[in-house]
Amino acid sequence: TLRLVFAVLVASRLLLSSTSINDYLIHDHQLSSPLTSYLNLQEGIYLFQNGINPYSGGVFRHSPLYLSLFTTFLSPSKAMASVLWTLCDSVGALSLVRIWRARQRVQSSPRDSLIAVLYFLNPYLLLPSLAYSTSSIENTLMLLSIMSACEGTASASLLALAFLLHLSLSSVILIVPITLLLLTDPTSRLTTPKPFAGSWRKAPVLLLELMMYFGILTLASTIVCDGLSWVPQTWGATLTLPDLTPNPGLWWYFFTEMFDHFRPFFLMVFSVHLLIYVAPICIKFQYDALYATFLLVGVLGVFKAYPTLSDPGIFLSMISLFPETYAFMRHPIVTSLLHLHAALLLPLFHQLWLVQGTGNANFFYASTLVFACANGAALVDCVWSGMRIAIGKEVDGYAVTQE
Amino acid sequence: MDILRGKIRALKQRLRPDGDVNVIRLQRRAKMTAVVRQRLPLLKFALFAIGYLWMLALPIIPTETTEKMDENALLPGQVHTHWNWAEVHTADRYLEQLEALRDNNATSEQRSDYLVKEFAKLGLAASAQPYQFSTVFGTSDGINSYAILSSPRTSGSEAIVISASWLSRTGEGDGTLNLRGVSTILAFAAFVRRYSLWAKDLVFVISDGYLEGMQAWLSAYHGVSQPNVQAADLELTSGVIWTALNIDYPGHSFSHLGIYHEGLNGRLPNQDLLRSFRRISRGTGGVPVILYDRLDPKDAESSFGDLLPKWIPIPSTIVQAVEKYYYFGKNVVRHANYQARGIGSGTHALFHQYRIDAFTMYALPATGPHGFHSIGRVLESTLRTANNLLERLHASFFFYLLTNADYSLKIGSFLPSAILVSVAMMFGGLRLWTDAGWTRSLTEEKGAPRWVTRPRPVLQVVTIMASTHLVGAAMFWAINTSWVANSAFGCVLVALCASALPLIALSAPPSGEDEASVSSVLKSLNLCFASTIISAVAVLNFSLAASMGIALGIPLSLSASHKHTPVRLAHYTCYVILGTAWLYYHSGVTKMIWDWQVLGVWFCPFLCIIFSPLVMQAGIVCLLP
Repeated sequence: TLRLVFAVLVASRLLLSSTSINDYLIHDHQLSSPLTSYLNLQEGIYLFQNGINPYSGGVFRHSPLYLSLFTTFLSPSKAMASVLWTLCDSVGALSLVRIWRARQRVQSSPRDSLIAVLYFLNPYLLLPSLAYSTSSIENTLMLLSIMSACEGTASASLLALAFLLHLSLSSVILIVPITLLLLTDPTSRLTTPKPFAGSWRKAPVLLLELMMYFGILTLASTIVCDGLSWVPQTWGATLTLPDLTPNPGLWWYFFTEMFDHFRPFFLMVFSVHLLIYVAPICIKFQYDALYATFLLVGVLGVFKAYPTLSDPGIFLSMISLFPETYAFMRHPIVTSLLHLHAALLLPLFHQLWLVQGTGNANFFYASTLVFACANGAALVDCVWSGMRIAIGKEVDGYAVTQE
Repeated sequence: MDILRGKIRALKQRLRPDGDVNVIRLQRRAKMTAVVRQRLPLLKFALFAIGYLWMLALPIIPTETTEKMDENALLPGQVHTHWNWAEVHTADRYLEQLEALRDNNATSEQRSDYLVKEFAKLGLAASAQPYQFSTVFGTSDGINSYAILSSPRTSGSEAIVISASWLSRTGEGDGTLNLRGVSTILAFAAFVRRYSLWAKDLVFVISDGYLEGMQAWLSAYHGVSQPNVQAADLELTSGVIWTALNIDYPGHSFSHLGIYHEGLNGRLPNQDLLRSFRRISRGTGGVPVILYDRLDPKDAESSFGDLLPKWIPIPSTIVQAVEKYYYFGKNVVRHANYQARGIGSGTHALFHQYRIDAFTMYALPATGPHGFHSIGRVLESTLRTANNLLERLHASFFFYLLTNADYSLKIGSFLPSAILVSVAMMFGGLRLWTDAGWTRSLTEEKGAPRWVTRPRPVLQVVTIMASTHLVGAAMFWAINTSWVANSAFGCVLVALCASALPLIALSAPPSGEDEASVSSVLKSLNLCFASTIISAVAVLNFSLAASMGIALGIPLSLSASHKHTPVRLAHYTCYVILGTAWLYYHSGVTKMIWDWQVLGVWFCPFLCIIFSPLVMQAGIVCLLP
């Protein structure tokens, strides 16, 4: 049945992207950030093809890898893009299904179709993909890397991870959990926590391999651009936030309001803040590296610079991989309602501020806060249920509490 | 002293009792939950009651006067006006010619030829724009005429529109002509070109028809294409339009100037513009200002007090208070009617979607004392005020509710009423959600029943909800086809089909004890979803949110399944009536469809895709076992 469901989904997805829906979505700030916008990509490609360094202006912030991809193998036309992004979605959904199978250690299961549907029909993933935001490509790479890690093909996983790191620097926090995943296996051990079982001996080799891939990609980028001018415009943008175009994340408003002399300090705080989650989550969930990876994907969705809707979206779709924890969630209805509110308020306040002009930036900022609360609630609840499951069902007369 | 010390110790003991901290925390949490749980019905009732009473009290909530201006640059009423009797004479001459056109039953073309010629005679760049709308009800066409006076002082990157539609808004465009409005525009165009004060281009637009002409003109001006409109491109354009003043002068003379300000889809213009107009009209023009076309009870000829029998001794203060409430209340209801349905209250309504502040000054027909002399002066001074602006009006002044021309409510004094109702619904939904997750189990051997959790059929319920909205979308598609829209029977048929479909739910098997019933989970999610919609809409269109709160609040909270099928069907019928009764009112439906197809008013899709499905979900709750 998965094949049938998958065919229907891919066909309808292709049909949807062949309509003019893209024209309405491509400009939307919530679906593509300055780092992932397809329009910026097209402009960069145009400049590049005409012999102008696209990184000399302040607009193009995509990786040089996109430049080489779209000027050699593919053309940046809309028809091409609609096929490519559909392909990305299909690969992403398939990877998610295969991660599920690897975790359950089965060849196929009745849940496969549901997981594929939850990936394809998640509006947070579908809409950015229809807007040709390159965040969909990053998501696919992330899922590919996790899938290969689950299936034990280390080199493929590390190569995908190196690509991902190259395209989106914030994903650096996934290095540790994916390495842990490569050292262990993806089966669910949430109910039986125990110290780390894998062997550390392979770790240096894996990291070295990752560094090698990453180095090659960096070298390739430098050759493509004939210099290092791309570094401050791509990786640098993630760290220094030069473009304050609104997005559904938490960074932009904070830095529009900030006095310039505080900027470097808070940029450092915001960037380091992302890193501090890695150690505690990886230590706590050392027995189930896939769950740790999943939680860190959630952290990215809430806190990364220049997020689009697809960053929290991938976290939400990945929840479908862990049905065993559902019974232990504390407030799933509150999380869902928060997400419902955020999903209605984000476009509404965006419209009030930027189209109708009757509201101001604070309106949209307020709705991004609701959105962050929703994502935070989902993340916190997943952390809770992931740990709570180990204690098992409550016995009469006893209560489980956190000290 | 000892007593005090003892009290402090007791207090300390209470706040931080001895024993295991965790146990105390658990006990405290359990106690708190129990307290909230126990009082939840009361809390819900209180929220509903306060919310609805607040809505009822909207007309008499202490309000701020509309005297204060937010934007200081407007400087209303501080100029010497030059409009005088010579200009009134010009207007009278134009009026004679327009009346001749009317008496000869002139076509749109002849009228437009005349208007363009007159504008050109004044030395203005003038042009005409033919348009044709095609809807399921047939086509309607006309020709707009417009002229542009380029700003003598600046490059003309901004513009102000002064407009009049050929049909007056009297009776929402019942065919009364706006001849004096049009002649005011012509005379005004002749007048303003003599002065070099203008820092913005002035665009004079005389649109054909009531609303459709201006819609075609504005779409063409902003380069927006609408598939069912064939309109010529504008030969002349100017800069960004900031402000538009629309004149509606249907009678011979007028006694008051009425403000109409509601835009399409619940948009409102910046209140500073209305406040400036009110001040100018009172000060410079000497014309009293009212909201809409109803006189203040103090000015009205017959009053509420006269209706009462003389022998009942009611103090006059009470009579006055009731009169005031009635008058303000009627204004609020009228505002809600325009805003909730999203139809706007005049030609100005079309401007707001392009971020233009606009309103209509409506010359209330009367035997006197005002005429061209007053309206010209008010228009001149208002235009000078709009001309003063260096930047757009401030963003914080778009959320208000006018109870009459002199008083307005700030957002904080009306928004909570709808939000409270939505919170009450949310609490109801959450309570049901928790209840659905628990059941008393008797399977244990110990005898005493204990509470155990049970799964909730969420996926099933979400599928039901999604399919009702899909049925709503199909309904929307159906009533927009020409056969259904043109026949009252077609609409009734659509309503019957939509209300017959959920009857499948009757055949659903009852759920077992170990799983929550679909009915209760559906009701819970239905309440939560409706509540979310109400709070989200509240910011965009308060009147719509409040109407939804009134229409859905209590009914959705009362839906429940029943043992006997006939009772279930009876309950379901009530919800069908609430959800689809509007389809039986054919003239209303045609107006709504016309508004959607020509002007893009969202009310029709909202009703079909959001409102009716929400009610139908409550109906399905009653049908399910």
